[in-house]
This record gives sequence, C-alpha cells and structure tokens, in this order.
Amino acid sequence: MSTILKIFAFPASIIIICLGISTILGGHITPGGGFQGGAIIAAGFIFCAIVYGFENTPFKFTHRFMATLESIGAIGYILLGLAGLLLSGYFLYNIGVDLYNLLPASIGSVFNYPDAVHAGIIPYLNILIGLKVLVGLSAVVITFLEFKGE
Amino acid sequence: MLYVGPSLFGFLIGFILGTRIKEDEEVKFPISSYIVILIAAILMAWQLGPFPYYHDLPLASGFIAAFVGIILGRIIRG
Repeated sequence: MSTILKIFAFPASIIIICLGISTILGGHITPGGGFQGGAIIAAGFIFCAIVYGFENTPFKFTHRFMATLESIGAIGYILLGLAGLLLSGYFLYNIGVDLYNLLPASIGSVFNYPDAVHAGIIPYLNILIGLKVLVGLSAVVITFLEFKGE
Repeated sequence: MLYVGPSLFGFLIGFILGTRIKEDEEVKFPISSYIVILIAAILMAWQLGPFPYYHDLPLASGFIAAFVGIILGRIIRG
C-alpha cells in the first residue's frame, strides 16, 4: 500500500474504533447498537489489516484474545438471560440494573443509564453483542487474509 | 455530574482493544501523532455531542472515554 495510506490508516482506525464503542454505548437510545457498533470496530481493525497486511498490522488480534472476547460475549448474554429467568420467570426479561431490588440503590445508580424509559440491562446486552460481532467479523477477514491459495 | 456507566464501559472496551496495539519497526508512530489524534478525537466528540437525556458534558463522553482507554491500554500493556 502507498505511504499516504500507511500514515493515515492507523490514526483513522483509532477514531473509527472510538466511534464504534460510542455507537454501542448509545444503542438503547440512538440509532445503532451492539451489532452496528461491533461492525464499526471490526471495520477499524480490517482497515489496518488490509493497509499494513495481517502480519504487520498494529492491532494484534491473537486467537486466544478473540476466543476470550467471544466467550465473554456469549456467556454474559446467557447469564443476563438466566438472571431474568430466575428473578421474573422470563428468559432475558429486563430486570433493571438493581436486579429486581437485590442490589442497593447506590450500586444501581452507578450502572443506570440516563434515559426516559430506564433501559435497564439493554445497554449491557448491547455491549456483549458488540464484543461477539467484533470478533466474528474480524475472524472472517483474518481467515481471508491468511488464505494462501492451493 | 459525569454518568459513570457509559464512561466506565467505554473505557473498559477501549482499554481491552488498546492492549492489542503493538507497533513494530514498520508501523511506528511518535507521541506527536497521538496528540494530533487526541485533538481530532476531541473535535469529533464535540461535533457528535452527548446522547439524548445526557446532560453531563457538551461532548460524547463515551467516545472520549474509549479514546482514553485505547491510549492507556497502549501505554500500559501495548
């Protein structure tokens, strides 16, 4: 790739990743969410991987790192769903950040997102989905980049 | 008052991704580059503005928290 692209790609990808994280965090109240934010973060990584090449990209996504992120996303999603099942009888029921009054209000207020309808666990589901999508899309591109042909 | 939830998780995700930044000989950016990126990030966060019903800062706090997380992750574990 050209020198101009190599100078531009890494700083731009940092900004793109920040925008993706911001999209995830506002998913319950603005357009976007976990999938879209995760795809934007993956786009930042893919941008660098294509410009610098997979071996030289500054974002070193190892297999173990990606497996860990994917596992956190999947297990966290199931645990939040099971918490709803245990406390309300419905899987993925929005039990709120205070877990149906199990937690004191001081802890609940820390994790509460300010909005008109009190989103409860929706932002956290967005975060977990974002991790899974980030890893999934990055893995697809890494597989393509590492393919050497036969 | 700064809302802790979005800032905390924006920082955490940024920190996790920042730990994976490892520059080598071919891709090497000096500190001045990061200062330029910081200025660009602040301008972009200003233009994005806060989410609806967020009245803590006049800029996107999650965006800034993510940027700080990436840079700290790069410095501490990168």
